[in-house]
Amino acid sequence: MNQNQTYAIPMNDPFGKATTGKLGMWLFIIVDGLSFAGLLIAGAALRAGGAEWPQAGEILNIPLTAFNTFLLICTSFTMVMALNAIQRGDQAGLKKFLGLTMAGGLVFLGIQVWEYYHFIVHGFVITTSLYAAVFYVTTCFHGLHVASGVIYIACILWAAGQGRYSADNWDRVEILGLFWHFVDLVWILVFTVIYLI
Amino acid sequence: MDDHKKLYIKNAIYLTVLTVLEVGVSYLEISQMGQIVLLLAFAATKMMLVAMIYMHLRYETKALKRILFVPIPAGILFTVALMYDIPFRWVV
Repeated sequence: MNQNQTYAIPMNDPFGKATTGKLGMWLFIIVDGLSFAGLLIAGAALRAGGAEWPQAGEILNIPLTAFNTFLLICTSFTMVMALNAIQRGDQAGLKKFLGLTMAGGLVFLGIQVWEYYHFIVHGFVITTSLYAAVFYVTTCFHGLHVASGVIYIACILWAAGQGRYSADNWDRVEILGLFWHFVDLVWILVFTVIYLI
Repeated sequence: MDDHKKLYIKNAIYLTVLTVLEVGVSYLEISQMGQIVLLLAFAATKMMLVAMIYMHLRYETKALKRILFVPIPAGILFTVALMYDIPFRWVV
């Protein structure tokens, strides 16, 4: 066979039009989802096992974190709008919405750092209690995902600046969106379990 | 405004309203079990809205949906099932 010859890859029927990259991201999401599930279940196990656990809002700042949750919901909206823009061939819209998503992610991280700073100043550190350890490990693990997401968005934004995406080529934007929405989806559970219950 | 954009805006509004309700429930003076059930129900609804609409899972094939919805709940179920003795483990 000539090395330059191209041939069609057979359609992977069970997964419809999902590309290999998209399937890969879904598989990553499952594995990552199980990691978060492990952390949250570990926290629940410690609590059920009799560890001292404060009431909701006794230590953590619920209104501030509710705002952060709202912010992450907004960034999910801007991310899906970025995909919507490039699917219509709107390059400027893609860049605008990706930029807004990245800004939202940075503000989220800023608020989280500010929250950590105040806790640490008041003596609530990772070694304070089992509750503190669960709080810091779970929220920091999520924060690292947000930070990775911001870097990931910056890379795609840079490529968008080079004009690499179009109405016929938006697969990578969609894959980035899957990761970002997953970060939002997991936060919904982390916020409920760690902050509200 | 195209239909998708309307749907995305509606979804963002639903998610915000559910978040406000969640925060409200956390301040309610009801039984802890009732509070946990309500909060987890709200969280599950929000997660479904993000997955189905923003992640476009509702447009994907059944096989892909199964890949997501079977292993995570199954993994959580197995782990929880293995922890039935936790309330007694700390008793000396």
